[in-house]
Amino acid sequence: MRNPIALLRRRWSDSDDVRTDGGTVDSGQSFWNRDSVRSAPFWLPPFLLVGLFVYGAILWNIVLSLTDFQGLGSPDYSNLDFENYLAALADPIDGLLSVLPFVNGGAVEARSPSWAQLSVEPIWNSAWNTVVLMVGFTVVCLALGLALAILVDHKIRYENTFRTIYLLPMSLSFVVTAKFWLYMYNVETGLINVVITSLGFGAVEIVQNPDLKLPAVAFALVWQFSGYAMIVYLAGLRAIPTSHFEAARIDGASTLRMYRRVVLPQLRTATVSALVVLTVFALKAFDFLFSMYSGYQPGPSADILATRMVREAYANQNWAYGSTIAVVLFVMALFIVTPYIYSQYQRGEL
Amino acid sequence: MAELNLDGVTKVFGEGSGNEVLAVEDVNIDIDDGEFLVLVGPSGCGKSTTLRMVAGLESISSGEIRLDGRRINEQPPAARDIAMVFQSYALYPHMTVRQNMSFGLEESTDLDDDTIESTVTDAAAKLDITELLDRKPGELSGGQQQRVALGRAIVRDPAVFLMDEPLSNLDAKLRAGMRTELQRLQEDLDVTTVYVTHDQTEAMTMGDRIAVLNDGQLMQVGSPLDLYHRPANQFVAGFIGDPSMNFFSVTHEDGRLVGEGFAYPLSSETERDVGDVEDCVLGVRPEDVTLVGSETDAHDFQVDVDVVEPMGNENNVYLSFPDADPDVSGDGPGTFVATVGGMRQVERESTVVARIPEDAIHVFDAESGAALHNRVLDESVETQPTVN
Repeated sequence: MRNPIALLRRRWSDSDDVRTDGGTVDSGQSFWNRDSVRSAPFWLPPFLLVGLFVYGAILWNIVLSLTDFQGLGSPDYSNLDFENYLAALADPIDGLLSVLPFVNGGAVEARSPSWAQLSVEPIWNSAWNTVVLMVGFTVVCLALGLALAILVDHKIRYENTFRTIYLLPMSLSFVVTAKFWLYMYNVETGLINVVITSLGFGAVEIVQNPDLKLPAVAFALVWQFSGYAMIVYLAGLRAIPTSHFEAARIDGASTLRMYRRVVLPQLRTATVSALVVLTVFALKAFDFLFSMYSGYQPGPSADILATRMVREAYANQNWAYGSTIAVVLFVMALFIVTPYIYSQYQRGEL
Repeated sequence: MAELNLDGVTKVFGEGSGNEVLAVEDVNIDIDDGEFLVLVGPSGCGKSTTLRMVAGLESISSGEIRLDGRRINEQPPAARDIAMVFQSYALYPHMTVRQNMSFGLEESTDLDDDTIESTVTDAAAKLDITELLDRKPGELSGGQQQRVALGRAIVRDPAVFLMDEPLSNLDAKLRAGMRTELQRLQEDLDVTTVYVTHDQTEAMTMGDRIAVLNDGQLMQVGSPLDLYHRPANQFVAGFIGDPSMNFFSVTHEDGRLVGEGFAYPLSSETERDVGDVEDCVLGVRPEDVTLVGSETDAHDFQVDVDVVEPMGNENNVYLSFPDADPDVSGDGPGTFVATVGGMRQVERESTVVARIPEDAIHVFDAESGAALHNRVLDESVETQPTVN
């Protein structure tokens, strides 16, 4: 394809002179000759699409969260306020106390924003679940990934096979993982309960048990993503020269001390990159919960911000309130990703 | 400080896999207390593997390594009282120079922090790296990193220093300087040192004694001059010395060595050394070949000058016998190098007379490579080839 602007320009120009260069050499206005302008056909469409559908949608969502949009009809943009945020984060002190497991704080006063006939629950419970899932999942995932990577790094036989086996779950979709673990957790036929009963204990309800819901979800996610953490750590371990291990051995460090003092500090970059990716996955665990609980009603003990958000929007038609939760989730994601991007930028890797 | 003995040390890689590689075969070396021993050989000769066996980084297939008479085969590296300098330095990038140097003391001794601190400071002063102590390895130049790697070994105050090509990552100028400094340091500390290198210049200039390895086998152990003047075989003769010794394939017949384009008469003493071996290799060092005015001796030969390489202080002159195959140039048979003074003018493609004095020749058995006759030396030079 020829540069369409050049083609257009030739259409527009009045002269029908035969050009000696066959039209390959551009003469004329400098504006059209700028690299940025001439390459516009390539960058402008994606730029506009991303601008509209990603950043535009985010902005629109933020505006929506300031309205009272609820039920049928269309939003009213004339009356913007932060009422929804106040309702969502109602009574910060009480809200925080109510979700912390070690204090039995008072019940949270649910507030009634002007648009609601009934009061709306603040988001503390699902926010807390999100944080627990995020921290629990990433920490266990990183620890397990590191342990696997160290084992696989020992020049074991069938290393590639092990690596593939550990990484394979990562390639499954959340839906498959969720259905798969639904079977695994089944109270009568699930493998977990088969093992427990064969050991002489009674069968345990896992999926619908409020005490085990969140751990069960986290466990399944760890199963799926520890392989990813392993690969990232393995790459980090491989980047450390063998001579460092040997020097540490000659220096008299035990295996444990060698890993703690020489190897782990050199895996900091790997840890940070894996951490960011895993945390973002934890924030997006919606698909997993949706498949596991066949909808967005996992019950209060496994309710995370994402399920709460969708429920408010599509079950309760509290569109503006759903948008508010979306913004909170977005800000949480920003808090996690920004330091990473900034540190990458400072090291000149961006 | 200690004596180190390698007794029949052998290393087989992939033992029992059906795919065995013999890397080091039956190496016997006794290293005296405070001695600087250089292990030298071409790449893949097993010199690094030998060093790593001493360090404990590689298991020993058979044989025994003793440090001060006690067997260390089964001991982990940390228990062997050794310190090693790696070719890549192996400095921990996340630690400062100070932390790098104190790491070994913290891990292997019970010293308190103050003692460690003062030991590190002393070693840093000795190596002139005091001002680098709080920097990280990434901020240092190659030469500085090299010093830190040395410092890390010195603070341990080990019985034996092991150095695996520590200077090979430095540029030529720096390497020459570090060579001298390392020698001085080793003399100061008087610690038994095993130094691995592929560079024969390093071996010649630094070692108290040199051990030459080839294909996993020990060729010869001896003082640098021993190896230079009394090589045990053709490999050692060719490996030590730069430019390397000239070799001519010759047949021994009627008291003469007949090669391509020349015949070299032997005296009765040399004749006796060579005995009845027929296929021989005649060797002569480039500096022993002299260019003379005219043919007056049976050991003078009319030769053509192929190439002259001026080095400033001397010229390397590439010569060939006129009767030799003219199509074969360079290192073909009958071509050899003479080193003459830098002030001497030798024209390319001229004809000169080269004298190969009989005092300076070596004769090797072409089949086994063993030296049959080595050059004659003045009485004052004590050289006894020692082959273990």
